[in-house]
Amino acid sequence: MSDFSGMEDLLQDFLQEAHDLLSDVDNKLVDLEKTPDDRGLLNDIFRGFHTIKGGAGFLNATELVTLCHLTENLFDRLRNAELALSPELMDIIMAATQGVRDMFGELSQSVQPQSADPQVIGALQGALNGEVQAPVVLPVATMVDVPPNVPAAASTGAAGEPDWEMLHSAVSGAPASSSEVSSRSVPDLAEEPVVAPAAEQAGTALAAQPASPYGRRGGDRPAASTAAARRTEDRGRENTIRVDTARLDQVLNLSGEIGLTKNRLTSLRADILAGKNDPETLHALDQAVSQLDLLVSDLQNSVMKTRMQPIGRLFQKYPRIARDLARQLGKDVELVLAGEETEVDKTMIEDLADPLIHLIRNAVDHGVEMPNERQLSGKTVKSLVRLEARQEGDHIVLIIADDGRGMSAERIRAKAVEKGLISEEEANTLDERQSLNLIFLPGFSTKTQISDVSGRGVGMDVVKTNIQKLNGSIEIRSEPGKGSVFIISLPLTLAILPVLLVLLGDQPFALPLSLVREILPIEQSRIQEVGGKETLVVRGEVLPVISLARLLGWPLKKYPEYGVFMQTAERSFILGVDSFAGRDDAVIKSLEDFRPKGVAGVTTLSNGQIVLILDMKELLADIGQHPEVGSLRSLEFA
Amino acid sequence: MAADPKMRFLVVDDFSTMRRIVRNLLKELGFTNVDEAEDGAIALQKLQAGGFEFVVTDWNMPNMDGLTLLQTIRSTPNLKHLPVLMITAEAKKENIIAAAQAGASGYIVKPFTAGTLSEKLTKIFEKMGKA
Repeated sequence: MSDFSGMEDLLQDFLQEAHDLLSDVDNKLVDLEKTPDDRGLLNDIFRGFHTIKGGAGFLNATELVTLCHLTENLFDRLRNAELALSPELMDIIMAATQGVRDMFGELSQSVQPQSADPQVIGALQGALNGEVQAPVVLPVATMVDVPPNVPAAASTGAAGEPDWEMLHSAVSGAPASSSEVSSRSVPDLAEEPVVAPAAEQAGTALAAQPASPYGRRGGDRPAASTAAARRTEDRGRENTIRVDTARLDQVLNLSGEIGLTKNRLTSLRADILAGKNDPETLHALDQAVSQLDLLVSDLQNSVMKTRMQPIGRLFQKYPRIARDLARQLGKDVELVLAGEETEVDKTMIEDLADPLIHLIRNAVDHGVEMPNERQLSGKTVKSLVRLEARQEGDHIVLIIADDGRGMSAERIRAKAVEKGLISEEEANTLDERQSLNLIFLPGFSTKTQISDVSGRGVGMDVVKTNIQKLNGSIEIRSEPGKGSVFIISLPLTLAILPVLLVLLGDQPFALPLSLVREILPIEQSRIQEVGGKETLVVRGEVLPVISLARLLGWPLKKYPEYGVFMQTAERSFILGVDSFAGRDDAVIKSLEDFRPKGVAGVTTLSNGQIVLILDMKELLADIGQHPEVGSLRSLEFA
Repeated sequence: MAADPKMRFLVVDDFSTMRRIVRNLLKELGFTNVDEAEDGAIALQKLQAGGFEFVVTDWNMPNMDGLTLLQTIRSTPNLKHLPVLMITAEAKKENIIAAAQAGASGYIVKPFTAGTLSEKLTKIFEKMGKA
């Protein structure tokens, strides 16, 4: 049952905006650790909590209001230099921020948040009370020049209706005499702030406890509510999107133009059907069609752009994650972001969140050395992890680079053999790049001791699978002693799939271009048999040759003339085909109820012909067990 | 309420959810002629362009906060007559005093209901009527 019936829209808006605010606060907190006295930052963070509190009030999210209020008060003290920022205080603040985030999680399930961890609340109150040196002089004096009669009125302290009129006249010197002011009800101010009593409570027993244990991750909370637990499992995707109105206007404008062109075509059709075919009419038809062509591709672009979001929204969360993890491990790591303005399809941003977190954790946990180790090898104590995004042509490239110890191809091979993932012989045939790629095998983890951070051995293969689901690829470069770089390459959008059209006889098939590395002619004389399989040596790499006809179960009528050098997650190989029909940007239509094995979907060519888009992974699945399936050996020439 | 339902409001807040809340509350009270601004600086530009009869502003905002906006309005000859209702999550005395001193027409603490807003507006309209 929703606690927010009638307010779902408001809740959605609030969550989306508040999430952004909190991410921003998180980043500023990381910056604040470097420059603890930056008043601008303190102000911004104060405002962040203040704004969230304001919105939460309207949702009656009392517990969220309380938590934000306390944190906000703490920042008020900090920015007025009444408190100094210490590492312990920072831990409390981080814990409070996590608390707020957890509450967002509960809210996103339409459940009113449970009260925050009492330890965090206690620590906040302790920090607000206990650690303040002298009792703070009423900040009134520091903020505004108060006319003498007002504090007198205020100090009587009786509760009651706020009397704006009285106060207003008191300070503005209008009618109402000062005696009246003090005798009448007190401006105890407005609609009772929900949290004031809690905040004002003097230091409790909790406040006396040492502060450091409150830090870290909200997941450690012993009394995590059921709602919070649910949240981690099935937090729904955001199903709304914020779009720059200028972009929507463009879409509107283009659809209007298309409407006009359509009208023009309708009238031309009538003319032509009526037998009119003079050069003028045909020229007009030609023009209208060309115009429609242009407009439709503009519209496609514009619509695609409405789905594009700056990747910075995703990146925002990471400095905080890296910082927390580094502290937990006793390392000194700075995550440097670049290219946050790069725009990526929204669904892709969501699907990238987990792989990127994993890669960053991996870099901090495995990539980067401990400070003493770094010193011994003459490096700076602080290590840098760089997270960068940029657009390269029709691809988005994401780079996660660390300046840590790098990866040794030798060790990775040894590990893979030890774990029984590959055989000794296989290991010996692998080059540097292939060896590094072994870390993407399921069950591979080089750390002997499993840490709760990233050593569960379920990570890298999932990362790779997730990236491939997005039609992307991931590549590793590493130099022992210098660091490692992970390079993720993604298509700009998932709506359009660039394909290579190959021909078997005159039947075209579409292959995802992202898997294609190159196209080469197959000369029968260069085919070599290795271990009973046809192979072709391409620049020193021995690649199996697999016939597409065979894969599809067609009779092999003639020897394939061309080979498509393809690379999937599991293997590299050459796919034998008869010929090519070019490349195309396919709009994938899925086959809803009927899905033959090995077919990812269909697309329509410009001439109206329907073409199957092949799912190479599925087609190849059988080959593992039956290597002869794709073999060229038993050629049946017609 | 004796006020003209066509009265043009400017709602100033950096949190768009909050602008929507205030706009909805105003709508409940029959005021539909509402424009929005994200901070004091933008608000001031809109106000200078003219046509507004009532300002509802948040306090804590980037670029120019609500108090500075209020002070600027009061010191600008063609704007100083504008009623300004301050909205904030802050219920501290000193804040209310500061708002009063700067010449706010009213002060309202978040969260509030349409009823509270109506009450505050009525008070301001009454005062305007008298003036």
